Amino acid sequence: MSVTRPGFDPELKAGLAVVGGVFPPTITPDLIGFMRRSYASPPIEETLRAKAIERSDHTIAGHGGDAVAVSVLRPAGLSDARPGVLFVHSGGLMFGDRFSGADLVLAWVETLGAVLVTVEYRLAPEHPDPYPREDCYAALEWVAANAQRLGVRRDRLLVAGASSGGGLAAGMALAARDRGGPALCGQVLDYPMLDDRGVTASTGQFDGVGVWDRVSNETGWTALLGDTRGGPDVSPYAAPARALDLGGLPPAFIDVGAAEIFRDEAIAYAGRIWAAGGDAELHVWSGGFHAFDIFAPHTGLARGMVRARDAWVEKVLAD
Amino acid sequence: MQELLGRLSALDPGASLGLRVIACFDELVVGNVNSRALLSAAASLAGCNAGYCQDLPSRTMRVTPRGELVDEPPVAPPAGSSATADGLTVWIERSGPAHANDAIILERLALSMRIRHGRGRRDLDSRRALGLVLDRAVPVEDRRTAATRLGLAPGTRHRVVAAPLFAVWDEHPTAAEDVVPTPYGPIHALVVPHDHPPIAAGPIGVGVATTVEHLPRSFRTAVVALRLCAPPETPAVDADHYGGLIGLLADLPPDADQPDVDALAEVMVAPWGPPTVDALVRAGSVRQAARLAGVHHSTLQQRLDGIGDTLGFDPFDDGISRTRLGIAYLAWRLRTSRVLDLPAPGRSRP
Repeated sequence: MSVTRPGFDPELKAGLAVVGGVFPPTITPDLIGFMRRSYASPPIEETLRAKAIERSDHTIAGHGGDAVAVSVLRPAGLSDARPGVLFVHSGGLMFGDRFSGADLVLAWVETLGAVLVTVEYRLAPEHPDPYPREDCYAALEWVAANAQRLGVRRDRLLVAGASSGGGLAAGMALAARDRGGPALCGQVLDYPMLDDRGVTASTGQFDGVGVWDRVSNETGWTALLGDTRGGPDVSPYAAPARALDLGGLPPAFIDVGAAEIFRDEAIAYAGRIWAAGGDAELHVWSGGFHAFDIFAPHTGLARGMVRARDAWVEKVLAD
Repeated sequence: MQELLGRLSALDPGASLGLRVIACFDELVVGNVNSRALLSAAASLAGCNAGYCQDLPSRTMRVTPRGELVDEPPVAPPAGSSATADGLTVWIERSGPAHANDAIILERLALSMRIRHGRGRRDLDSRRALGLVLDRAVPVEDRRTAATRLGLAPGTRHRVVAAPLFAVWDEHPTAAEDVVPTPYGPIHALVVPHDHPPIAAGPIGVGVATTVEHLPRSFRTAVVALRLCAPPETPAVDADHYGGLIGLLADLPPDADQPDVDALAEVMVAPWGPPTVDALVRAGSVRQAARLAGVHHSTLQQRLDGIGDTLGFDPFDDGISRTRLGIAYLAWRLRTSRVLDLPAPGRSRP
């Protein structure tokens, strides 16, 4: 049967003519090397140029005590304790670095005065589960433990991430709840990668089109989980859709495109949070392909997505 | 997107960024987006503000690379990076020397704005002529006129070559060419003489030879041929090789009910499926098919029995059964074609 699926927004469709050369729709394991080059973030010095943001780099103990790099981005000239954000970057668990997509969250530092901490979690397949998620969790504990030194308010700590980073952020919120870890005031999950099973209707709708199709997703989850992907032994901290209980979580902000494979797992996650009596805000953007705010920020749809997200973060974080 | 274009050229210095700019504006025109969206795309591609103004009624708009409106009063359109036609001026606000893609961005922006505002006609632009020539919905007289503008003389025979925007051209023919929107996305189309020698490029599909009036058919067969490509093994497909079959495939509606193809798709799930079916379609006997597939003939016979069970007919039963399998196989290749989704330019290059 031929597949029917919602179309792309015209501005985004035009953007695909350019995006497709950097980020092919279908990523197979042989393309991981190419993606690491094509998805590398531009030099952070350029991104921060002319912005009132101070950056410091630190080495923390990640999973197993191994060295992991984090960067702390602070609003210049503010010395009081500020709200904190732990940011987890995108890149399908296999590529990207801690500054990938960071330009979209720098507004929280510039306009809300938040301190943004971003972590260089180790990537699959060289570092499969639990490395990525436990590196992130170690960074969360490090921020909480060093809050005073970093000038971060422990009572206003947010986790945020996009795509694979959104899945890892959701996993951190679950782990913090279960392990009695740092209290969180919110979780921002942008088009999060939540479910290794790949069984939703939207997963079947996007094959070979747009950004991050069904095969790419299989490549990413297999890199992380190997043969255990889709089986009974996957940790909910790696694939948060696996969590049986979504009660007692911090307020969640979830946004996703209607024309991407993660649509249905994002909607389901919000639905299950509500069913458990929790707080979630869900935005589904018509005609949106995966991560369209990163690839086509100039479009009307992306401006709307960023505006809605920033408004929620302001509500949760601002003085 | 300027940053993405920069990454593209760093990954593949030979990539044609101009074609991507053209395809981008083509999609915007097809999508009938508004002035702000057109200016946002231009500004984003250029990495600097873009703007437009018109006289009657007086209106001005400036947009940043992030798609935000600029409130400040407009500067005078910078000389050298503005274009005026039909009472409408567009510009990009480049400070310093022009960048490589500025001219093409400005040209496409001007054209798109004129279309959006109902000024001028698409065919004012010579590049658009090819889109007319290849569109069977356009009256044949208009197609002939457009063909003449492209230097395609009446009575001569030509072929359309179809390629994705990211095709690799070791040799690029001098020909009428443009980016043409299709249901499969923007396609790079070239018109070459019917006896043009093989072109060293891939992936490409070469259409059947036709007179100027029938070039839409050549284009449609070229697109089918392109979609039958499977690089690196099959970087180019010639429609002539498939004769009348390719016309059948070209006329097949995308949502056609194809039970044979659905059944064949079940066979193709097995790793041995595609090479075995390919061998069966090419071979004249089970033994020859076994040789082509590189397996023992008893193994092939076993697979053939299984395939027959799944399809509901024995492919070697008679000529009609063989034909059914052959057509189902080609339709399956089109349905599962990935050739237009392979845009990683640096992939096969050192």
